[in-house]
Amino acid sequence: MSGPDHDLPGAVRAALAETLGRDPGEVELSPIPGGASRQTFLVEGEAGRWVLRRDPPGAGSFTPLAVEFGLIRAAAAAGVPVPAVLHFVPEGGCFGTSGFLLDHVDGTSVAPRLLRRDEYAGARERLPAQLAQGLARIHAIDPTDLDEVPAPEGDPALTACELWERELDAIGEPLPAVEAGLRWLRLHPPESPARIGLVHGDFRLGNFICDPGGLAAVIDWELCHLGDPAEDIGWLTIRSWRFGNDELPVAGMGELGPFLDAYEAAGGERPSPERLRWWEAMGNVKWAVICARQAHDHLTGARRSAELASLGRRICEPEWDLLALLSEGAG
Amino acid sequence: MQDRPTAPELLEALAELLFTDVREWVPRERRFQVLVAANVCAVVARELRAGREPTLADLALFGELAEGRPAPAPDSEEEGAAACEAARRLSRSIRAGELDQELPAVIDRLRDHVRRKLDIARPGYAD
Repeated sequence: MSGPDHDLPGAVRAALAETLGRDPGEVELSPIPGGASRQTFLVEGEAGRWVLRRDPPGAGSFTPLAVEFGLIRAAAAAGVPVPAVLHFVPEGGCFGTSGFLLDHVDGTSVAPRLLRRDEYAGARERLPAQLAQGLARIHAIDPTDLDEVPAPEGDPALTACELWERELDAIGEPLPAVEAGLRWLRLHPPESPARIGLVHGDFRLGNFICDPGGLAAVIDWELCHLGDPAEDIGWLTIRSWRFGNDELPVAGMGELGPFLDAYEAAGGERPSPERLRWWEAMGNVKWAVICARQAHDHLTGARRSAELASLGRRICEPEWDLLALLSEGAG
Repeated sequence: MQDRPTAPELLEALAELLFTDVREWVPRERRFQVLVAANVCAVVARELRAGREPTLADLALFGELAEGRPAPAPDSEEEGAAACEAARRLSRSIRAGELDQELPAVIDRLRDHVRRKLDIARPGYAD
Protein backbone atom coordinates (compact mmCIF):
# COMPACT_ATOMS: atom_id res chain seq x y z
CA MET A 1 0.00 0.00 0.00
CA SER A 2 1.38 3.40 -0.92
CA GLY A 3 0.86 6.23 1.51
CA PRO A 4 -1.25 9.27 0.76
CA ASP A 5 0.19 11.73 -1.73
CA HIS A 6 1.90 14.79 -0.31
CA ASP A 7 -0.88 17.22 -1.27
CA LEU A 8 -3.84 14.85 -1.01
CA PRO A 9 -5.03 15.91 2.48
CA GLY A 10 -5.27 19.52 1.27
CA ALA A 11 -7.27 18.46 -1.78
CA VAL A 12 -9.64 16.42 0.38
CA ARG A 13 -10.08 19.34 2.80
CA ALA A 14 -10.98 21.66 -0.08
CA ALA A 15 -13.39 19.13 -1.60
CA LEU A 16 -15.07 18.62 1.77
CA ALA A 17 -15.36 22.40 2.28
CA GLU A 18 -17.10 22.66 -1.10
CA THR A 19 -19.50 19.77 -0.38
CA LEU A 20 -20.28 20.60 3.24
CA GLY A 21 -20.39 24.37 2.75
CA ARG A 22 -17.89 24.85 5.59
CA ASP A 23 -14.19 24.23 6.08
CA PRO A 24 -13.71 20.97 8.03
CA GLY A 25 -10.25 22.11 9.18
CA GLU A 26 -7.11 20.06 8.80
CA VAL A 27 -7.67 16.41 7.91
CA GLU A 28 -5.40 13.39 8.14
CA LEU A 29 -5.50 10.50 5.68
CA SER A 30 -4.62 6.90 6.45
CA PRO A 31 -4.90 4.05 3.96
CA ILE A 32 -7.54 1.39 4.67
CA PRO A 33 -6.15 -1.96 3.50
CA GLY A 34 -8.20 -4.28 1.30
CA GLY A 35 -10.23 -3.61 -1.81
CA ALA A 36 -9.40 -5.32 -5.08
CA SER A 37 -8.29 -2.39 -7.20
CA ARG A 38 -9.28 0.88 -5.52
CA GLN A 39 -7.35 2.93 -2.99
CA THR A 40 -9.40 3.69 0.11
CA PHE A 41 -8.39 6.24 2.76
CA LEU A 42 -9.88 7.05 6.13
CA VAL A 43 -10.17 10.85 6.38
CA GLU A 44 -10.14 12.20 9.95
CA GLY A 45 -10.53 15.75 11.18
CA GLU A 46 -11.90 17.68 14.13
CA ALA A 47 -15.25 18.00 12.34
CA GLY A 48 -15.76 14.33 11.57
CA ARG A 49 -14.67 11.25 9.64
CA TRP A 50 -15.07 10.47 5.95
CA VAL A 51 -13.74 8.01 3.40
CA LEU A 52 -11.95 8.73 0.11
CA ARG A 53 -12.02 6.14 -2.65
CA ARG A 54 -9.95 6.66 -5.75
CA ASP A 55 -8.30 4.78 -8.60
CA PRO A 56 -4.64 3.94 -7.98
CA PRO A 57 -2.30 5.84 -10.32
CA GLY A 58 -1.90 4.09 -13.67
CA ALA A 59 -4.34 1.23 -13.02
CA GLY A 60 -7.57 0.42 -14.77
CA SER A 61 -10.59 -1.02 -13.01
CA PHE A 62 -13.51 -3.29 -13.77
CA THR A 63 -16.26 -0.72 -13.14
CA PRO A 64 -15.29 2.94 -13.63
CA LEU A 65 -15.30 4.92 -10.39
CA ALA A 66 -17.93 7.34 -11.72
CA VAL A 67 -20.26 4.39 -12.31
CA GLU A 68 -19.59 3.07 -8.79
CA PHE A 69 -20.53 6.50 -7.43
CA GLY A 70 -23.85 6.39 -9.31
CA LEU A 71 -24.52 2.82 -8.22
CA ILE A 72 -24.16 3.61 -4.53
CA ARG A 73 -26.67 6.44 -5.03
CA ALA A 74 -29.09 4.06 -6.78
CA ALA A 75 -28.66 1.50 -3.99
CA ALA A 76 -29.41 4.14 -1.35
CA ALA A 77 -32.57 5.12 -3.21
CA ALA A 78 -33.62 1.45 -3.29
CA GLY A 79 -33.31 1.20 0.49
CA VAL A 80 -30.02 -0.70 0.64
CA PRO A 81 -27.89 0.45 3.60
CA VAL A 82 -24.84 2.17 2.06
CA PRO A 83 -22.51 5.02 3.06
CA ALA A 84 -23.79 8.39 1.82
CA VAL A 85 -21.75 9.48 -1.22
CA LEU A 86 -20.69 13.13 -1.15
CA HIS A 87 -18.48 14.34 -3.96
CA PHE A 88 -17.05 12.89 -7.17
CA VAL A 89 -13.96 14.29 -8.91
CA PRO A 90 -12.95 12.93 -12.34
CA GLU A 91 -9.46 11.90 -13.48
CA GLY A 92 -7.02 14.81 -13.51
CA GLY A 93 -8.89 16.72 -10.80
CA CYS A 94 -7.78 17.51 -7.27
CA PHE A 95 -7.42 13.84 -6.26
CA GLY A 96 -5.04 13.12 -9.19
CA THR A 97 -6.88 10.03 -10.38
CA SER A 98 -10.68 9.94 -10.25
CA GLY A 99 -12.08 9.64 -6.75
CA PHE A 100 -15.05 10.28 -4.51
CA LEU A 101 -15.78 11.06 -0.87
CA LEU A 102 -18.25 9.16 1.29
CA ASP A 103 -19.56 9.49 4.79
CA HIS A 104 -17.76 7.27 7.29
CA VAL A 105 -19.98 4.51 8.71
CA ASP A 106 -19.22 3.43 12.29
CA GLY A 107 -18.77 -0.27 12.97
CA THR A 108 -16.49 -2.96 11.61
CA SER A 109 -16.31 -5.04 8.46
CA VAL A 110 -13.54 -7.30 9.81
CA ALA A 111 -14.84 -10.89 9.58
CA PRO A 112 -13.10 -12.46 12.62
CA ARG A 113 -14.35 -9.65 14.88
CA LEU A 114 -17.92 -10.01 13.63
CA LEU A 115 -17.82 -13.78 13.97
CA ARG A 116 -16.17 -14.10 17.38
CA ARG A 117 -16.71 -11.04 19.58
CA ASP A 118 -19.46 -10.98 22.18
CA GLU A 119 -20.49 -7.42 21.33
CA TYR A 120 -21.64 -8.64 17.88
CA ALA A 121 -23.71 -11.61 19.16
CA GLY A 122 -26.95 -9.75 18.38
CA ALA A 123 -25.61 -8.64 15.00
CA ARG A 124 -24.85 -12.27 14.12
CA GLU A 125 -28.47 -13.21 14.86
CA ARG A 126 -29.86 -10.47 12.66
CA LEU A 127 -27.33 -10.24 9.83
CA PRO A 128 -28.40 -13.16 7.57
CA ALA A 129 -31.98 -11.87 7.24
CA GLN A 130 -30.73 -8.28 6.80
CA LEU A 131 -28.38 -9.46 4.05
CA ALA A 132 -31.23 -11.32 2.33
CA GLN A 133 -33.37 -8.19 2.37
CA GLY A 134 -30.52 -5.93 1.21
CA LEU A 135 -29.64 -8.30 -1.60
CA ALA A 136 -33.27 -8.58 -2.76
CA ARG A 137 -33.37 -4.77 -2.92
CA ILE A 138 -30.14 -4.61 -4.94
CA HIS A 139 -31.52 -7.20 -7.35
CA ALA A 140 -34.76 -5.24 -7.70
CA ILE A 141 -32.97 -2.07 -8.93
CA ASP A 142 -34.07 -1.42 -12.50
CA PRO A 143 -31.02 -2.16 -14.66
CA THR A 144 -32.33 -0.09 -17.56
CA ASP A 145 -31.49 3.03 -15.53
CA LEU A 146 -27.84 1.94 -15.31
CA ASP A 147 -26.50 2.00 -18.84
CA GLU A 148 -22.80 2.23 -17.99
CA VAL A 149 -22.70 -0.85 -15.78
CA PRO A 150 -20.85 -3.76 -17.46
CA ALA A 151 -23.41 -6.11 -19.02
CA PRO A 152 -23.04 -9.72 -20.24
CA GLU A 153 -22.78 -10.14 -24.02
CA GLY A 154 -25.08 -13.15 -23.96
CA ASP A 155 -25.87 -15.75 -21.32
CA PRO A 156 -24.41 -14.58 -17.97
CA ALA A 157 -23.10 -18.05 -17.03
CA LEU A 158 -21.13 -18.44 -20.27
CA THR A 159 -20.02 -14.81 -20.04
CA ALA A 160 -18.57 -15.61 -16.59
CA CYS A 161 -16.73 -18.66 -18.02
CA GLU A 162 -15.20 -16.48 -20.73
CA LEU A 163 -14.29 -13.70 -18.30
CA TRP A 164 -12.31 -15.99 -15.97
CA GLU A 165 -10.71 -17.94 -18.85
CA ARG A 166 -9.46 -14.63 -20.25
CA GLU A 167 -8.19 -13.54 -16.85
CA LEU A 168 -6.35 -16.87 -16.39
CA ASP A 169 -4.70 -16.40 -19.78
CA ALA A 170 -3.68 -12.84 -18.87
CA ILE A 171 -2.04 -14.09 -15.66
CA GLY A 172 -0.29 -16.91 -17.50
CA GLU A 173 0.20 -19.38 -14.62
CA PRO A 174 -1.20 -22.87 -15.32
CA LEU A 175 -3.99 -23.93 -12.89
CA PRO A 176 -5.27 -27.29 -14.18
CA ALA A 177 -7.77 -27.72 -11.32
CA VAL A 178 -9.39 -24.37 -12.14
CA GLU A 179 -9.37 -25.26 -15.85
CA ALA A 180 -11.12 -28.57 -15.14
CA GLY A 181 -13.73 -26.81 -13.01
CA LEU A 182 -14.29 -24.12 -15.64
CA ARG A 183 -14.64 -26.76 -18.34
CA TRP A 184 -17.29 -28.60 -16.33
CA LEU A 185 -19.15 -25.36 -15.67
CA ARG A 186 -19.03 -24.45 -19.37
CA LEU A 187 -20.49 -27.85 -20.31
CA HIS A 188 -23.27 -27.69 -17.69
CA PRO A 189 -24.55 -24.09 -17.52
CA PRO A 190 -27.87 -23.33 -15.84
CA GLU A 191 -30.70 -22.12 -18.08
CA SER A 192 -30.54 -18.41 -18.83
CA PRO A 193 -32.07 -16.57 -15.85
CA ALA A 194 -35.66 -15.34 -15.99
CA ARG A 195 -34.37 -11.79 -15.67
CA ILE A 196 -31.05 -9.97 -15.85
CA GLY A 197 -30.51 -7.98 -12.68
CA LEU A 198 -27.94 -5.79 -11.00
CA VAL A 199 -25.30 -8.01 -9.38
CA HIS A 200 -23.18 -6.49 -6.59
CA GLY A 201 -20.28 -8.75 -7.54
CA ASP A 202 -18.54 -8.82 -4.15
CA PHE A 203 -21.38 -9.40 -1.70
CA ARG A 204 -19.62 -11.28 1.11
CA LEU A 205 -18.47 -11.03 4.71
CA GLY A 206 -15.72 -8.40 4.67
CA ASN A 207 -17.83 -5.98 2.64
CA PHE A 208 -20.55 -5.53 5.26
CA ILE A 209 -20.01 -2.80 7.83
CA CYS A 210 -21.85 -3.91 10.96
CA ASP A 211 -22.55 -2.38 14.33
CA PRO A 212 -24.05 -4.24 17.30
CA GLY A 213 -27.48 -3.84 15.66
CA GLY A 214 -26.38 -5.68 12.52
CA LEU A 215 -25.95 -4.44 8.95
CA ALA A 216 -24.99 -0.75 8.74
CA ALA A 217 -23.67 -0.57 5.15
CA VAL A 218 -22.85 -2.68 2.10
CA ILE A 219 -19.54 -1.46 0.65
CA ASP A 220 -17.11 -2.15 -2.23
CA TRP A 221 -19.33 -1.79 -5.28
CA GLU A 222 -16.44 -1.88 -7.75
CA LEU A 223 -17.26 -5.34 -9.18
CA CYS A 224 -20.92 -4.49 -9.87
CA HIS A 225 -22.33 -5.71 -13.18
CA LEU A 226 -25.52 -6.95 -14.80
CA GLY A 227 -26.17 -10.68 -14.70
CA ASP A 228 -27.88 -13.58 -12.96
CA PRO A 229 -28.86 -12.47 -9.42
CA ALA A 230 -28.04 -16.02 -8.20
CA GLU A 231 -24.38 -15.13 -8.79
CA ASP A 232 -24.38 -12.94 -5.65
CA ILE A 233 -25.82 -15.75 -3.50
CA GLY A 234 -23.32 -18.30 -4.83
CA TRP A 235 -20.40 -15.94 -4.10
CA LEU A 236 -21.75 -15.04 -0.65
CA THR A 237 -21.83 -18.70 0.35
CA ILE A 238 -18.41 -19.98 -0.82
CA ARG A 239 -16.46 -21.57 2.02
CA SER A 240 -13.76 -18.88 2.02
CA TRP A 241 -16.31 -16.30 3.22
CA ARG A 242 -17.42 -18.49 6.13
CA PHE A 243 -14.05 -17.80 7.80
CA GLY A 244 -13.87 -21.16 9.59
CA ASN A 245 -17.59 -21.52 10.41
CA ASP A 246 -17.83 -24.02 7.57
CA GLU A 247 -21.26 -25.39 8.51
CA LEU A 248 -22.97 -21.99 8.13
CA PRO A 249 -22.94 -20.95 4.45
CA VAL A 250 -24.39 -17.45 4.92
CA ALA A 251 -21.43 -15.34 6.09
CA GLY A 252 -20.48 -18.06 8.61
CA MET A 253 -23.58 -17.04 10.57
CA GLY A 254 -26.69 -18.54 9.01
CA GLU A 255 -28.19 -21.53 7.22
CA LEU A 256 -29.08 -21.30 3.54
CA GLY A 257 -32.80 -22.23 3.89
CA PRO A 258 -33.87 -19.34 6.16
CA PHE A 259 -31.72 -16.96 4.10
CA LEU A 260 -33.50 -17.94 0.88
CA ASP A 261 -36.86 -17.66 2.64
CA ALA A 262 -36.03 -14.11 3.71
CA TYR A 263 -34.69 -13.28 0.22
CA GLU A 264 -37.91 -14.54 -1.35
CA ALA A 265 -40.07 -12.72 1.23
CA ALA A 266 -38.25 -9.47 0.30
CA GLY A 267 -39.10 -9.94 -3.38
CA GLY A 268 -36.11 -11.95 -4.64
CA GLU A 269 -36.62 -14.91 -6.95
CA ARG A 270 -35.57 -18.13 -5.20
CA PRO A 271 -32.95 -19.87 -7.36
CA SER A 272 -32.96 -23.66 -7.81
CA PRO A 273 -30.35 -25.68 -5.85
CA GLU A 274 -28.63 -26.55 -9.17
CA ARG A 275 -28.36 -22.90 -10.20
CA LEU A 276 -26.99 -21.98 -6.77
CA ARG A 277 -24.45 -24.80 -6.83
CA TRP A 278 -23.29 -23.70 -10.29
CA TRP A 279 -22.72 -20.13 -9.06
CA GLU A 280 -21.07 -21.31 -5.83
CA ALA A 281 -18.66 -23.37 -7.95
CA MET A 282 -18.11 -20.35 -10.22
CA GLY A 283 -17.51 -18.27 -7.07
CA ASN A 284 -14.68 -20.61 -6.19
CA VAL A 285 -13.25 -20.24 -9.72
CA LYS A 286 -13.43 -16.48 -9.30
CA TRP A 287 -11.72 -16.45 -5.89
CA ALA A 288 -8.97 -18.82 -7.12
CA VAL A 289 -8.29 -16.58 -10.14
CA ILE A 290 -8.39 -13.40 -8.03
CA CYS A 291 -5.82 -14.95 -5.64
CA ALA A 292 -3.63 -15.79 -8.65
CA ARG A 293 -4.07 -12.25 -10.03
CA GLN A 294 -3.09 -10.61 -6.73
CA ALA A 295 0.02 -12.80 -6.37
CA HIS A 296 0.86 -11.99 -10.00
CA ASP A 297 0.52 -8.25 -9.34
CA HIS A 298 3.14 -8.67 -6.62
CA LEU A 299 5.44 -10.68 -8.90
CA THR A 300 5.27 -8.20 -11.77
CA GLY A 301 5.99 -5.33 -9.38
CA ALA A 302 2.63 -3.70 -10.09
CA ARG A 303 1.89 -3.85 -6.34
CA ARG A 304 4.70 -5.26 -4.18
CA SER A 305 3.15 -6.73 -1.04
CA ALA A 306 3.84 -9.79 1.11
CA GLU A 307 0.10 -10.08 1.72
CA LEU A 308 -0.66 -10.25 -2.02
CA ALA A 309 2.24 -12.66 -2.53
CA SER A 310 0.86 -14.99 0.15
CA LEU A 311 -2.48 -15.21 -1.70
CA GLY A 312 -0.71 -17.31 -4.35
CA ARG A 313 -0.63 -20.10 -1.79
CA ARG A 314 -4.35 -19.77 -1.05
CA ILE A 315 -5.41 -20.64 -4.61
CA CYS A 316 -5.64 -24.29 -3.54
CA GLU A 317 -8.41 -23.56 -0.99
CA PRO A 318 -11.13 -22.51 -3.48
CA GLU A 319 -9.71 -25.09 -5.92
CA TRP A 320 -10.46 -27.80 -3.36
CA ASP A 321 -13.99 -26.52 -2.74
CA LEU A 322 -14.60 -26.19 -6.50
CA LEU A 323 -13.60 -29.76 -7.25
CA ALA A 324 -15.52 -31.05 -4.19
CA LEU A 325 -18.71 -29.30 -5.34
CA LEU A 326 -18.35 -30.68 -8.86
CA SER A 327 -17.54 -34.21 -7.68
CA GLU A 328 -20.79 -34.21 -5.72
CA GLY A 329 -22.75 -33.32 -8.84
CA ALA A 330 -20.65 -34.61 -11.74
CA GLY A 331 -21.56 -38.30 -11.35
CA MET B 1 26.83 -28.15 4.67
CA GLN B 2 25.37 -25.51 6.95
CA ASP B 3 25.18 -25.88 10.72
CA ARG B 4 21.90 -26.53 12.55
CA PRO B 5 19.29 -25.14 12.70
CA THR B 6 18.29 -26.32 9.25
CA ALA B 7 16.37 -24.01 6.92
CA PRO B 8 12.92 -25.29 8.01
CA GLU B 9 13.95 -25.16 11.66
CA LEU B 10 14.96 -21.52 11.26
CA LEU B 11 11.71 -20.66 9.53
CA GLU B 12 9.76 -22.40 12.30
CA ALA B 13 11.63 -20.34 14.90
CA LEU B 14 10.81 -17.18 12.97
CA ALA B 15 7.13 -18.21 12.68
CA GLU B 16 7.00 -18.75 16.47
CA LEU B 17 8.52 -15.33 17.12
CA LEU B 18 5.98 -13.67 14.81
CA PHE B 19 2.99 -15.62 16.12
CA THR B 20 3.81 -14.82 19.76
CA ASP B 21 5.99 -11.81 20.70
CA VAL B 22 5.78 -9.68 17.54
CA ARG B 23 2.02 -10.13 17.39
CA GLU B 24 1.79 -8.64 20.88
CA TRP B 25 4.13 -5.74 20.07
CA VAL B 26 2.33 -4.38 17.01
CA PRO B 27 -0.81 -2.26 17.17
CA ARG B 28 -4.02 -4.24 16.72
CA GLU B 29 -4.83 -2.91 13.25
CA ARG B 30 -1.45 -4.18 11.96
CA ARG B 31 -1.67 -7.66 13.49
CA PHE B 32 -3.11 -9.19 10.36
CA GLN B 33 0.12 -8.45 8.47
CA VAL B 34 2.18 -10.14 11.21
CA LEU B 35 -0.03 -13.22 10.97
CA VAL B 36 0.45 -13.24 7.19
CA ALA B 37 4.23 -13.13 7.69
CA ALA B 38 4.15 -15.87 10.32
CA ASN B 39 1.99 -18.06 8.11
CA VAL B 40 4.32 -17.61 5.12
CA CYS B 41 7.25 -18.82 7.27
CA ALA B 42 5.26 -21.88 8.35
CA VAL B 43 4.22 -22.66 4.75
CA VAL B 44 7.78 -22.44 3.44
CA ALA B 45 9.05 -24.60 6.32
CA ARG B 46 6.53 -27.33 5.41
CA GLU B 47 7.45 -27.04 1.74
CA LEU B 48 11.15 -27.52 2.50
CA ARG B 49 10.40 -30.52 4.73
CA ALA B 50 8.20 -32.14 2.05
CA GLY B 51 11.08 -32.11 -0.44
CA ARG B 52 10.68 -33.17 -4.09
CA GLU B 53 7.98 -35.80 -3.60
CA PRO B 54 4.82 -33.68 -4.06
CA THR B 55 6.16 -32.06 -7.23
CA LEU B 56 7.20 -35.42 -8.70
CA ALA B 57 3.76 -36.85 -7.92
CA ASP B 58 2.10 -33.89 -9.70
CA LEU B 59 4.43 -34.28 -12.67
CA ALA B 60 3.42 -37.94 -13.01
CA LEU B 61 -0.30 -37.15 -12.58
CA PHE B 62 -0.36 -34.31 -15.14
CA GLY B 63 1.42 -36.46 -17.72
CA GLU B 64 -0.97 -39.35 -17.14
CA LEU B 65 -4.07 -37.16 -17.50
CA ALA B 66 -2.87 -35.23 -20.57
CA GLU B 67 -0.92 -37.89 -22.46
CA GLY B 68 -2.10 -41.15 -20.92
CA ARG B 69 1.28 -41.89 -19.33
CA PRO B 70 3.30 -40.29 -16.54
CA ALA B 71 5.69 -37.61 -17.76
CA PRO B 72 9.28 -38.88 -17.48
CA ALA B 73 10.91 -37.79 -14.22
CA PRO B 74 13.62 -35.19 -14.86
CA ASP B 75 17.21 -36.21 -14.06
CA SER B 76 18.24 -33.37 -11.84
CA GLU B 77 16.61 -30.70 -9.72
CA GLU B 78 14.40 -29.40 -12.52
CA GLU B 79 11.15 -31.07 -11.51
CA GLY B 80 9.60 -27.68 -10.68
CA ALA B 81 9.94 -26.38 -14.24
CA ALA B 82 8.94 -29.77 -15.68
CA ALA B 83 5.78 -29.92 -13.54
CA CYS B 84 4.88 -26.38 -14.55
CA GLU B 85 5.26 -27.30 -18.23
CA ALA B 86 3.16 -30.46 -17.72
CA ALA B 87 0.48 -28.40 -15.92
CA ARG B 88 0.44 -26.04 -18.90
CA ARG B 89 -0.05 -28.89 -21.40
CA LEU B 90 -2.81 -30.42 -19.28
CA SER B 91 -4.54 -27.03 -18.90
CA ARG B 92 -4.49 -26.55 -22.69
CA SER B 93 -5.96 -30.02 -23.27
CA ILE B 94 -8.77 -29.41 -20.80
CA ARG B 95 -9.59 -25.99 -22.27
CA ALA B 96 -9.62 -27.42 -25.82
CA GLY B 97 -12.19 -30.02 -24.79
CA GLU B 98 -9.85 -32.96 -25.48
CA LEU B 99 -10.65 -34.51 -22.08
CA ASP B 100 -14.41 -33.86 -22.05
CA GLN B 101 -15.24 -37.58 -22.20
CA GLU B 102 -13.34 -38.34 -18.99
CA LEU B 103 -13.83 -34.96 -17.28
CA PRO B 104 -15.42 -36.37 -14.06
CA ALA B 105 -12.40 -38.68 -13.64
CA VAL B 106 -9.98 -35.81 -14.38
CA ILE B 107 -11.71 -33.69 -11.72
CA ASP B 108 -11.48 -36.56 -9.27
CA ARG B 109 -7.77 -37.19 -9.94
CA LEU B 110 -6.90 -33.48 -9.74
CA ARG B 111 -8.16 -33.49 -6.16
CA ASP B 112 -4.94 -35.40 -5.31
CA HIS B 113 -2.90 -32.53 -6.81
CA VAL B 114 -4.87 -29.90 -4.87
CA ARG B 115 -4.55 -31.95 -1.68
CA ARG B 116 -0.78 -31.96 -2.08
CA LYS B 117 -0.83 -28.16 -2.29
CA LEU B 118 -3.11 -27.91 0.77
CA ASP B 119 -0.82 -30.23 2.78
CA ILE B 120 1.82 -27.49 2.45
CA ALA B 121 -0.29 -24.33 2.43
CA ARG B 122 -3.23 -25.18 4.72
CA PRO B 123 -3.02 -28.56 6.48
CA GLY B 124 -6.41 -29.84 7.57
CA TYR B 125 -8.42 -27.89 4.97
CA ALA B 126 -9.19 -31.01 2.92
CA ASP B 127 -10.34 -33.12 5.90
